[in-house]
Amino acid sequence: MRKFSINRILTEDKAEYDSMSRNIYKRLPGIENFMVKQNDLALEENLDVMDKESLRLIHFNGEFLKPCPGTRRYICCGYQILNIGINCPMDCSYCFLQSYINQPSLRIFTNLKEKIRSIGQFIDDNPQNIFRIGTGEFTDSLALDYITGWTDFLLPFFSTRNNTILELKTKTTFVKNILKSDYRKGIVMAWSLNTPRIVGNEELMTAKIKNRILAAKKCQEEGFVLAFHFDPLIYYDGWEDEYEEVVEMLEKYIKPESIIWISMGSFRYMPQLKWDIKRRFPNTEIFNGEFVSGLDGKMRYFKPIRVEMYSKLSERLSKWHNDLGIYLCMESDDVWRQSFGWSPENTKNLSDYLDNRVRLLSVRSN
Amino acid sequence: MQKNQIKTVDLIVSISDIDLRPDGPFRMSFDFNLEKLKMSIAKYGILNPPYIVKNLDDSFSVVAGYKRLLGAKELGWESAECKLLPEDFPLLDALMLNLDDNLLHRKLNIIEKAMVIEKMLPFLKKDKIITDYLALLDIPANKQNLELYLRLSELDEQIKVSIAKEILSLRVADLMQNIDREHRLSINDLIISLKFSFNQQLQLFQYLTEISSREGRSIKNILNGSEINKILTDKKTNAPQKGKAITTALKKRRFPSLSEAEMAFKRGLSRLSLPSGVNIIPPAFFEGVNYKLEIVFSNGKELTGKLNNLNSLSGLIEVTEFWKGRGNS
Repeated sequence: MRKFSINRILTEDKAEYDSMSRNIYKRLPGIENFMVKQNDLALEENLDVMDKESLRLIHFNGEFLKPCPGTRRYICCGYQILNIGINCPMDCSYCFLQSYINQPSLRIFTNLKEKIRSIGQFIDDNPQNIFRIGTGEFTDSLALDYITGWTDFLLPFFSTRNNTILELKTKTTFVKNILKSDYRKGIVMAWSLNTPRIVGNEELMTAKIKNRILAAKKCQEEGFVLAFHFDPLIYYDGWEDEYEEVVEMLEKYIKPESIIWISMGSFRYMPQLKWDIKRRFPNTEIFNGEFVSGLDGKMRYFKPIRVEMYSKLSERLSKWHNDLGIYLCMESDDVWRQSFGWSPENTKNLSDYLDNRVRLLSVRSN
Repeated sequence: MQKNQIKTVDLIVSISDIDLRPDGPFRMSFDFNLEKLKMSIAKYGILNPPYIVKNLDDSFSVVAGYKRLLGAKELGWESAECKLLPEDFPLLDALMLNLDDNLLHRKLNIIEKAMVIEKMLPFLKKDKIITDYLALLDIPANKQNLELYLRLSELDEQIKVSIAKEILSLRVADLMQNIDREHRLSINDLIISLKFSFNQQLQLFQYLTEISSREGRSIKNILNGSEINKILTDKKTNAPQKGKAITTALKKRRFPSLSEAEMAFKRGLSRLSLPSGVNIIPPAFFEGVNYKLEIVFSNGKELTGKLNNLNSLSGLIEVTEFWKGRGNS
């Protein structure tokens, strides 16, 4: 997989003094750096293309660690988001960021390293809690790591804590930096998975599915715990056979015992996103399914379709291994029951279930 | 007070020397009817002389008064008195002069607003147009709207007319740019003939494009199919009824599983023989799990009777299964 091209750096007030910015300047020699005002759209940044070749360095004054907002009236996993930046150099047609962000360019929060101590303090002050933290909500966890050096300090920081796991979720194969690290404990390497057809048509500039799985294999061989996310599941003629192919690839290359969890989530979107997507990807086929308005206002596949996808895919995954920690992302109690025959009933119980997976894993790795 | 007055020269100009092409540099008139204006010109002449500028080839461009000159030309006038702007008069100022002149006495239609914005573009940065001019044109000031109006210039003439007449929703017109010309004109024709509301237009467009994508058929093929044709040729229904019937038929085709579930639920309910004035309402799209029971009654005796009746309905226990194609079969 090729590295992404960065054409210019836009440095906001204060960000130039952050250590991450200095490292980025060093890692991108010859790339022109423009000083810009906070929140100013600079130099004709284009929201339509989301300006994915400009790196905007921001001294971020907001909260870095926040609970995932989840969604109303559906069961969520109780994840914590470490907000390292917003926007991603890859271009998935279904990406919610197209409607979510109102400013273009790849936005990197350069004071993360300086702020992370206070996050550590918060985690250490709550030793009874398990913190499942991820950086892959508003950006890809690894796509820009070769520029930002995120994992250089995030791995040692989280790996040395007993009540925390850091999940790095990616659609890339950029694991070189990770593999060089000495830290394994508490680090979960996660890949988003989809069928080759969806990857080819809808996940532009991402790594091919086989290459993602091969990167996962390498990480597993080097002692990392793995996770996979079948999200978004897309329904189309032939979906079942093609998701089966992906599971076959997992079977071929991955040892299931050290998988901490596998999530599934069907494609869902806020109504406005459809128009943003259709404008940027007029030929996309992701809206061909039967979508209805969900209880939270997001559009989802008609319930029997979701149940069919979840039950068939989980059945297939369970044939591979019966302890994969399969869970559903943002689904209702009755969809859980109809798909799996059981339900955590609420977000707290799903959180407990996943926290126990973390505890079990640390017992195993001890 | 005289400080900003423009120095013009009064001039009788031959109309044939004036560029009256519809795409002139300062033009902002689209889809207009000249008849009333012509009647006025015929009766009183041109009350306010048009403003013109001289071009390098000695012809003239109209800055303000395009319709007046066009009306005069159609009335067979050979010349008209005009106000000639100085040769160094800035083009942007000329455009603004015409805009002010228009805004003072009429409301621009959407296509005319798009023409104004497009003509500003060579002179002004997009940010400036957004902050200083969109509100003046009664357009919410943001980049998305600017881009939307700029895209309108690409539209087909027939579609522009539909927008200008406010028959076609701007949103749907914009979305139609992503489909082939032949298909968007078919949709435009259908919308005009059946007078679809803006909401119906959006539904129609979504259903047609998504059915096309799902079934691998062209939009024209769907519209020319027997299902739609039967509705269109039904002599017993009027235009709004035809429009509703088309959207209903397309919805059923677009959402086969949901439609089947809705029908199955209705069938199940009808087999139950609920007492009159009693209805069971499923959750929207069957997404939630809570159903509603609605009982219309005018006194306690009637309510008790209906409740007793309901209590004796053996199939009621299966009511939440009806839409799944199970229960009471």
